[in-house]
Amino acid sequence: MLAPALAAAAILVLLPVLDTLWLSLHDVILYRPRSRPFIGLANYTRALTDPVFWESLGNSLVWVICAVSLQFTLGFATALLLNRSFAWRGIARALVVVPWALPSVIIGLIWTWMLDFNLGVLNNIGVMLGILPHSVPWLAQSSTAMGGVILAVVWQGFPFFAVTLLAGLQAIPGELYEAASIDGAGAWGKFRHITLPGLAGVIATALLLRMIWVANSLDLILVMTGGGPGTATQTLPLHAFLTAWSGGNYGQGSALAVLLTLLLLGVVVTYVWRSRAE
Amino acid sequence: MKRRTLLTGATATLAAAPLARPHAQKPVTIRWWYHFDDPKATPDELVAAFEKENPGIKVEAENIPWGGGGDYDNRLYTSIIANNGPDTAMVKFNNLARLIEMDALTPLDKWIDAWPGKSDITTDLWRLHTAPDGKRYYMPLQYVVLYLYVRLDLLAKQNLKVPTNFDEFLVAAKALTGGEQWGFGMRGGSGGHDSWMPFAFGTGAKPMKGGFVSPAALAQNRFFIDLHREHKVTPPSAPTDAFLQIVNNLKAGRVAMTVHHISTANTMVETFGDSITAVPVPRGPNGTGFATFGDGSTCVFSASKNPEAAWKWISWLSTGPNNVLYNKAAGQLTVTTSGAANWALHPKRFVDATVQSLPIAGVLPNLPQTADFTRVVWPQNTQKALLGQIQPDEMMQAFEKLFYG
Repeated sequence: MLAPALAAAAILVLLPVLDTLWLSLHDVILYRPRSRPFIGLANYTRALTDPVFWESLGNSLVWVICAVSLQFTLGFATALLLNRSFAWRGIARALVVVPWALPSVIIGLIWTWMLDFNLGVLNNIGVMLGILPHSVPWLAQSSTAMGGVILAVVWQGFPFFAVTLLAGLQAIPGELYEAASIDGAGAWGKFRHITLPGLAGVIATALLLRMIWVANSLDLILVMTGGGPGTATQTLPLHAFLTAWSGGNYGQGSALAVLLTLLLLGVVVTYVWRSRAE
Repeated sequence: MKRRTLLTGATATLAAAPLARPHAQKPVTIRWWYHFDDPKATPDELVAAFEKENPGIKVEAENIPWGGGGDYDNRLYTSIIANNGPDTAMVKFNNLARLIEMDALTPLDKWIDAWPGKSDITTDLWRLHTAPDGKRYYMPLQYVVLYLYVRLDLLAKQNLKVPTNFDEFLVAAKALTGGEQWGFGMRGGSGGHDSWMPFAFGTGAKPMKGGFVSPAALAQNRFFIDLHREHKVTPPSAPTDAFLQIVNNLKAGRVAMTVHHISTANTMVETFGDSITAVPVPRGPNGTGFATFGDGSTCVFSASKNPEAAWKWISWLSTGPNNVLYNKAAGQLTVTTSGAANWALHPKRFVDATVQSLPIAGVLPNLPQTADFTRVVWPQNTQKALLGQIQPDEMMQAFEKLFYG
């Protein structure tokens, strides 16, 4: 019974991983198909001594921490709102999923044009309301570009938390809140002693999953800035992608992918450990 | 008796059929990869006309997504490695060196030298289509040369003439900058290397070993970066502005000059009529200059099982009236002298600016690193220099290192 599942896992997961490891130990240049010499750990050494690697790693940390924490905060607030009774709640619950359902490329293009210096609607509104003295080239300045792409990914990802946490909220028995009310607990007390503990498992799983997804994702950044200006928004997976795809250096790109995997392993092990415990 | 006669007759007819149609062999099929900027354009009319003239050859035209060039190139490389590549394809200079390194190309010299259409293509174009090893692997198909768009009405308001050298260009750019208008629409984002080269190599430096860090190139590159950093004659978004931004800004009147090519001429005329023109890019003090050549070529792959048929197709595409028809779909200029003589697809002044730029037209080094330069190394370093994170000279040193170690 276990054999088919193991075979599927081996074909879909193990083989690509082994292939990536093999590539990372060889000098694999796409346009030199007849020469793929074994070079040991040279690709890893080159990656770790390249300042762009460390810059990309720093950008990745900012990207993951800001994106996931803001998505979580906004998603949690939305879930709490959607858990209350109000007119048109069904429509509101359906609409909130829209950003999550849109392809990343579409979201990237929408936000690129919304943030555009010349034609962007956000600059237009900001200047009209007097919030901005003049248009700001959000994606063309290293000080604001990362904020711009984080804004887009927060909009894209908060529905995941909203829907997941809403499901968790609905699983908390209403009697607990009634009992707490009778005991004189206020809104904050109920949130702290019933809602948060009731959601702890869902929150931990959702955060771990989202961290892995955001850390690996590069599509939104690729569409919006391509990692620029300069390397201001270049994260580690984008660095690996550009090295392999644009530079044709699949050996170096694979080494970067393996390093990223090792860095994410801590999060993955925690997730697997939690899953087994549950 | 009657039935037997009929059967005998039918059998005889069937047996004689191949003899009666000696040329009705199965047509040879060649696969051709292409990409047009206009997604609505198709080569169907061309393919039908070719197949009518060459009944023994069938062309399977496959539209390959461009993806800024990277998607197209990588699909091409991987298909060649997987031995499933096309017989012929549209290609660009920036992947010539990689394709040569892969032994993927068939030299076309013997065919070109025997081709009656050879003299209808100028020597400038043949010069540009000659690889560093002296062979010709690419067949000219379409071309553009980058020139300078100038708003004549805005210049007239400032009593300025069209700039012809870098000093005049700076004077004009400064005069045309003010409020929400900037003198020059700089392209620091994707594809911007094409409009940077006329500046960097405009006073005599060459894009070759040592050329990127030559005193002339370093000085010119500082001039280019300072247009944004010091003189502020470009929009603040210039470090990441790409094709859409520079074209839309010019059309919206937010910039007065920009560098592009003839594919946008018609839309500019629709917007501004006679108030806009194009001139060759500014030149250096000694009359030196560099106009970026934007190529579109075809090739025959060495793995093709039908190279003669593939050559027939690509040479047919580059022949007088066929090439004009092709460029109607591609939106660029014909490579044939006969086709250019009666060219009616773009206003004459834009064709003139292009043709006048041909003698100074040049390309990036034909090296395997070129594709990486255009997609990653140029934008990253240029944007850093434009934002003041590195010095302009460091940017040029990075380019020299990439190409020549």
